Amino acid sequence: MDRKSTHNSMDEVLGLNTDHAGAQRKFPYMPVGEAVDMGFDENGIPFIDPRIFDSGEFGRNPYPYYRIMRDHYPVFHDELHNCYFVTRYEDVTNCYFDEIGFNTIPKGSSSGVLGNTQLELSGIEHRRRRNIYGRHLVGAALTKRLHALEAIAQELIQEWWAPDNPKGLVIDQKKNIATLELGKAFANEFPISVVAEVLGIPQRARQQFTWWYDAMMSGLGGSETHHEGLEARQDLEKYVENLVEEKRGNPTYLKDELGDEICMDIISELCNSEIDGDVMSTEEITSFIALVVGGGGETTRGAIMNLWYLLLQHRSQYDAVQSNNDLWDTAFHEMLRHSTSIGGQPRHNTNEIIMHGVTIPAGSLIHMVDVSANHDERVFSDPEEFNIFRNDLYTGKILRSGHDKEGKCSHMAFGVGPHLCPGAWISHQETVIGSRILESAFTNARINEDLMPKDIDDVSLAPIGLGSIRELWIDFDIPT
Amino acid sequence: MAPLEEYEHDDEPAATPGYRTYEVYQRERVGETTNLIKPRQLISNEYLDNPYPLLETLRENYPCYRDWLNNRFWLTRYDDVTSVFVDDRNFETRPKSWCVSMGDSGISFWNDIEVQKQYESLVDTRIHDVVGEVLDSFSGNRINLATEFCARVPLLLFAKVVGIPANNQNEFISLYWESLLAKAWDPIQKQRGMLALIQIEKLLAGICDVRRDTPKDDLISAILLNVNLDREVTTQDLLLTLFDIDQETLIGGLANLWFNLLTTETEMEKVTEDKRLLKFAWLETLRHSPPVLSAERFAKYEVERFGRLIPQGGLVMCSAAGANRDPRQFNNPNEFIVGRKDLCQREPRGQYRADGLPSGIAFSLGRPSVHPAVPKERSRSLYAIVRDSAVTASEMFLDSYSSAKLVEGAEPKLKSLYLKGIYSCWELDTEI
Repeated sequence: MDRKSTHNSMDEVLGLNTDHAGAQRKFPYMPVGEAVDMGFDENGIPFIDPRIFDSGEFGRNPYPYYRIMRDHYPVFHDELHNCYFVTRYEDVTNCYFDEIGFNTIPKGSSSGVLGNTQLELSGIEHRRRRNIYGRHLVGAALTKRLHALEAIAQELIQEWWAPDNPKGLVIDQKKNIATLELGKAFANEFPISVVAEVLGIPQRARQQFTWWYDAMMSGLGGSETHHEGLEARQDLEKYVENLVEEKRGNPTYLKDELGDEICMDIISELCNSEIDGDVMSTEEITSFIALVVGGGGETTRGAIMNLWYLLLQHRSQYDAVQSNNDLWDTAFHEMLRHSTSIGGQPRHNTNEIIMHGVTIPAGSLIHMVDVSANHDERVFSDPEEFNIFRNDLYTGKILRSGHDKEGKCSHMAFGVGPHLCPGAWISHQETVIGSRILESAFTNARINEDLMPKDIDDVSLAPIGLGSIRELWIDFDIPT
Repeated sequence: MAPLEEYEHDDEPAATPGYRTYEVYQRERVGETTNLIKPRQLISNEYLDNPYPLLETLRENYPCYRDWLNNRFWLTRYDDVTSVFVDDRNFETRPKSWCVSMGDSGISFWNDIEVQKQYESLVDTRIHDVVGEVLDSFSGNRINLATEFCARVPLLLFAKVVGIPANNQNEFISLYWESLLAKAWDPIQKQRGMLALIQIEKLLAGICDVRRDTPKDDLISAILLNVNLDREVTTQDLLLTLFDIDQETLIGGLANLWFNLLTTETEMEKVTEDKRLLKFAWLETLRHSPPVLSAERFAKYEVERFGRLIPQGGLVMCSAAGANRDPRQFNNPNEFIVGRKDLCQREPRGQYRADGLPSGIAFSLGRPSVHPAVPKERSRSLYAIVRDSAVTASEMFLDSYSSAKLVEGAEPKLKSLYLKGIYSCWELDTEI
């Protein structure tokens, strides 16, 4: 007797006839702005399947999912990844300001490669260390160094036309068109050169420094290149150890364009500073350098790439920026609101809390999702639109408070409060100065769509999604 | 949005008084990278099908593995896992009501001594009838032993012990099994589980109304009659209590026991010749093939253990499957050996019994009794009740079908149907 014909009731009870999806799920790619159907509850509210966060679809098209979370789960408990997401602008802001309620104890993977950094400190100690190097990145010290930024940018652009063609320019003499990939030609190298300059990394070590930077960046996030990232970090540490020994005895100085000393470079300053009567250890200095390398290099690279990608896709806005150079600042801020390359920051609640009806046990990992806050319709109208003329974004001097006196909000790309990115000002200057110089080097710049990665329809340009674009091919008329 | 008035425009807020330094150095070193495994593998179909190779990699290389992707620490060595279980000072279990978002909606009476005694008595008196009923229902000479016997006996027993009327028992069994999904992370499964809980609650409400007036010899009546509260017992209370009396280990363990026996001829011969060995076969099954693969514990405080700093709130996955096959404790740990000499053959208390032997770690059974000998006024532990139920059911099956064997060509295997689901045998095509 075939047992299946008579004894299938228990199979049904146990759901053995049901197709269990198992642990993995493949999500289809959706048109930008539309979410995959992940089911609905009995009230018609869409579900969020936490596996979406690991998907390629989410990486290229995250905003419809963040919108669902903002609208229906302002605190989303991801039980698969054992964490919570806070996605509304106001909530993220309040959490960033509450240092006691939401601490910065490291539980994220970045500490694996970068070491324990400034990001993980709080309160007075955070403030003290930040103040040691923070003054190098703002105000007079920065202003006096702007000529160095300009010189580095000019130098890189001159290399476009060098006989050995190190930047890979493709020239079509017949059509009088040059083509370059902006990352290779400029954006990959420019920020890291600036970082090396400000830190005080000797010229002879800069190529190696760039390699360490690349390896460490790719090793973040517990990714498959984590091991390589750790090796790079170890090599950097060995190198910095010797450098620190040198600079403890013989500090070196940054100079202005006339060659006068402005102040010690950052590493020299750190080597010769004391905190609570103690000098900083080599380990601490290395962690700091690793953080500056990440924060000052990769994010600014992404900012330049995303800014040009967006502007060149919105021709009228690019034209406006060309005719009014002051608009570069506005464009920079709107780009960071629209497509910042840093997704957010982790926090851990010190005590059990209830937010939006969700009880979060003490010590839980909470992702403050900056990119979602930047697209919060409660603050920014038509948040998916890139519009440098929008009037609901504060684009003035970067403020810790996150808003101006009238309450107009800034983007969240640099965070707000005590942990506002200390490199915000220099990143701003790098991007804007670099872009102005780039703009003057281009004539009739436009995207070479044939060479660009395409979206799922094989026609549209690929969206930026989370992070930043990896390549941007630009055509421009060869200057006469 | 209203600006944050308490902060002066562009002034930094005052630094919080006092500060903490995160001085404990816990950065990974090159030699400590965990490149032999990817965290994604621990939430993959590969893990559902056979977690043991992955767990061995963890146990032998990364005994306290930090899973960055899923924000948890994995413990896979026997001593480490058991040390967490006995450390109530630093680690806590979150109640099931939290996992299913039932919060403060009721009180579980499972820790009430009277309720436990009644449960013990009801199980002991009903088990024979239930097994007999299931055995009588077999027709033909082929069954799926895993579902028609190993799953059906515990579920039917539970329905009868609770006091579900005969005409509602199938519905209850179905809903109860479905309700286990409420613990899932998958929103669709969770919804199914939550809806099942609501339906069970409705079913219980009707039964409660009747039992308040005409109590019977069942768990619902026992709770309604014996629990002292300053209010009436609600169906939510009942629901939470039933949810706490876990059936997963009995369901999965019984299937795994018979999977192991039917696929290991020598051990099957042992128990056929001497049925008293079934108890040892059950204990060895819990070691060799625990149906609940791991248990979650959360650090109550920041603790430095296993060479790592585990932050407050940190999730520690205590892997029974990894620990039970730890070669540091068990010789030939991948072999199923009834009556193995290096396994404690009695209920464990703490990390080791007085005879110094480790036991198989099995979850969902509550704490083993803390008493060396259980006082007369107390019930046996759930661990012991489940063990005795499994042994009784197996003995009765063996009495009826002593020559039971796998159908020729059958290739049974263990697997989890979904993450957090029990790791068990779902198809055991058996000739009886």
